[in-house]
Amino acid sequence: MLSKLENSTTLRWLGKQLFNREDPAAFFDPLLAPLDPMLVRQYVPARVERIEAETADTKTFTLKPAARWGGFRAGQHVTVSIDIDGRRHNRTFSLSCSPLRWQKEGLVTLTIKRLPGGLVTNWMHDHLEPGAVIGLGETFGEFLIPGQPEPVLFIAGGSGITPILSQLETMAAEQYHAPVTLLYFVRTQADIIAAQRLHTLRQGWPAFSLSILATETGAAPRFLNDDHLDAVPGLRARRCYLCGPGGLMELATDLLHQRGIADDHIHCTFFAAPKAALAGDSLGGEVRFSRSDVTVTAEGEVSLLDIAEAASLSPRYGCRMGICHQCSCTKTSGTVINRLTGKTSGPGEEKIQLCVSVPKGPVNLEL
Amino acid sequence: MQKLTEAQLNELEKDLNAIRDEVLADLGERDARYIRKVIRLHRSLEVAGRVMMPFGFIPPVFVAATTALGLAKIIENMEIGHNVMHGQYDWMNDPALHSQTYEWDTVCTGDSWRRTHNYEHHTYTNVIGKDRDYGYAVLRLSDDVKWHPGHSLQFINYVLLSVFFQWGVGVHELETERLRRREIRWKDKLPFLKEFARKGGRQAFKDYVFFPLLTFPVAPIVLAGNVGANLIRNLWSSTVIFCGHFTQDAETFTEAECENESKGHWYLRQLTGSSNFTGGKLVHLLSGHLSYQIEHHVFPDLPAHRYPEISPRVQEICARYGIHYNTGSFAGQYGTVIKRILKYSLPDGVRSRLEAQPA
Repeated sequence: MLSKLENSTTLRWLGKQLFNREDPAAFFDPLLAPLDPMLVRQYVPARVERIEAETADTKTFTLKPAARWGGFRAGQHVTVSIDIDGRRHNRTFSLSCSPLRWQKEGLVTLTIKRLPGGLVTNWMHDHLEPGAVIGLGETFGEFLIPGQPEPVLFIAGGSGITPILSQLETMAAEQYHAPVTLLYFVRTQADIIAAQRLHTLRQGWPAFSLSILATETGAAPRFLNDDHLDAVPGLRARRCYLCGPGGLMELATDLLHQRGIADDHIHCTFFAAPKAALAGDSLGGEVRFSRSDVTVTAEGEVSLLDIAEAASLSPRYGCRMGICHQCSCTKTSGTVINRLTGKTSGPGEEKIQLCVSVPKGPVNLEL
Repeated sequence: MQKLTEAQLNELEKDLNAIRDEVLADLGERDARYIRKVIRLHRSLEVAGRVMMPFGFIPPVFVAATTALGLAKIIENMEIGHNVMHGQYDWMNDPALHSQTYEWDTVCTGDSWRRTHNYEHHTYTNVIGKDRDYGYAVLRLSDDVKWHPGHSLQFINYVLLSVFFQWGVGVHELETERLRRREIRWKDKLPFLKEFARKGGRQAFKDYVFFPLLTFPVAPIVLAGNVGANLIRNLWSSTVIFCGHFTQDAETFTEAECENESKGHWYLRQLTGSSNFTGGKLVHLLSGHLSYQIEHHVFPDLPAHRYPEISPRVQEICARYGIHYNTGSFAGQYGTVIKRILKYSLPDGVRSRLEAQPA
């Protein structure tokens, strides 16, 4: 019944008049959530069905999203929102299963590695239990498999395997017949994520060849090198997909360029861990005001409000001393330091007060 | 105003900042649970009020429905809307509780409130000529304003303002006094008037057209109940708000005093320009914890349910600096407000003769 408040134009308009909010259906959330958290309308709720350990520091969470969830394409990410100690945290993770699983069983999986010092990933590992409900947001990402079969090379590092798992399972289900190779780099044999699923894929799908390479088992670390690429038949004609730590991605891109593979045949998606805050780190950075389509670089302890004004923007403001919250605005990414508290923000999306926030590295603002 | 040296003001700033930092560092699950509990209470009361109202032809049900809806509006305006819009819950990062997008169940738009209240009133608290909330440009409450014969009837204006309080607050940003003085033109106020008409229309449509018509055969009963609920909210919120800055000992300031003021001076002005009243937990909830107006003005963006906890520490600081901490019973404080409204309705000559007489 509540979906009518979302989907019918007339009822939605009426709901806005009656409840003074843009999402009238969510007006009843506070009454419905205690009865069943899956009835919430503010976000798409998803129940945790199962949690399985992949390695010592990686787990796969199987979720059952509410039926109205819009689904995804293989290789895409989803925003997950989780309340921890009263605060809502939004983080982006790759979906690690095929969209067919969502279509057939109504289930999706996220495969998540603990980030050292990461609040959300560690909380999910330590406190999230089957039966709990978390929020799902939009799915997005252009890391997508070819529409027409063509030879493909995947290079994955560590937890960078997650979107590729979704892609491989989708391709296997379609019996994708062009050759597909995966070079999967892990630190040690104990760090292989989804080993069983990968071996099952290889057995049932003749076009697929798999090499799992442990980098830290020998005397010296062994990274991606020319020998690995020489072993891939018909490399020049392949479309390449890279996902993993920054070092591996840079190395792979260089080696592929050297072999004459053009940028439009190389697809990357990044999974960089946020850099830990260092005392004495210099302040400032590149600030992007997304709505105004303006990017400026700031140096030193200058507030985002001053930076915005220096860039000829006129954000709403009031007291300019952190009292009135007139200048609150959404930071979509990046780290800022609150001048009043001296605290460093998280890297994700959150509301900040422009007048007392100083950028620390690149920051994206919805302004 | 209490005079403190620059050094004392700096110390005062540090002492108050220490309380603020401590609460900020402690914000978490407890605060989130509190505001969500209050929101649940609001939704329950609103649903109960709306559902019972059509059965208001039974007198006790009419009373229950009107009271439930009135309380719902009071709680939504005072403890949820006012406090959320101050940014008290921004740290929760819940889009439904964000200061800049929240819209409340009253005529005044959230945007207009954020400008006139959060910014003007909280920055220029009790500065005559800058804080338009001081007397709402309708009442003469200090001798900074020259008396004229119109003021002698201001008690009637006060009663009218209280009865139609949500409309008064809604139209506050029109700045009629400046329009009269021709400092601004009607044309400048067109965008505001449009917003006011939209939100005022929305509120009137909901309570006075939609819900009565929805239950057509009993429309007059539903209409009467909804008018009653709005009236209850108007009288209560007006009374609470008047007790915040217009009590006998709440001080006023001049623009000159506040030029280039330090944060310490701003704190001092908040402490001496505001007044509290005592009461039970229910009174604090229904007043949106504006019964702790002093704590609210010093820390407008700390979750209001924390004010009772930090109040003893604020009082201790006031005692240490010799600052008067203005509090008293609800009836006592409200009595001094009524006296102030009446007193300043008189010409200065009559008032000073009355004041000279022993009470």
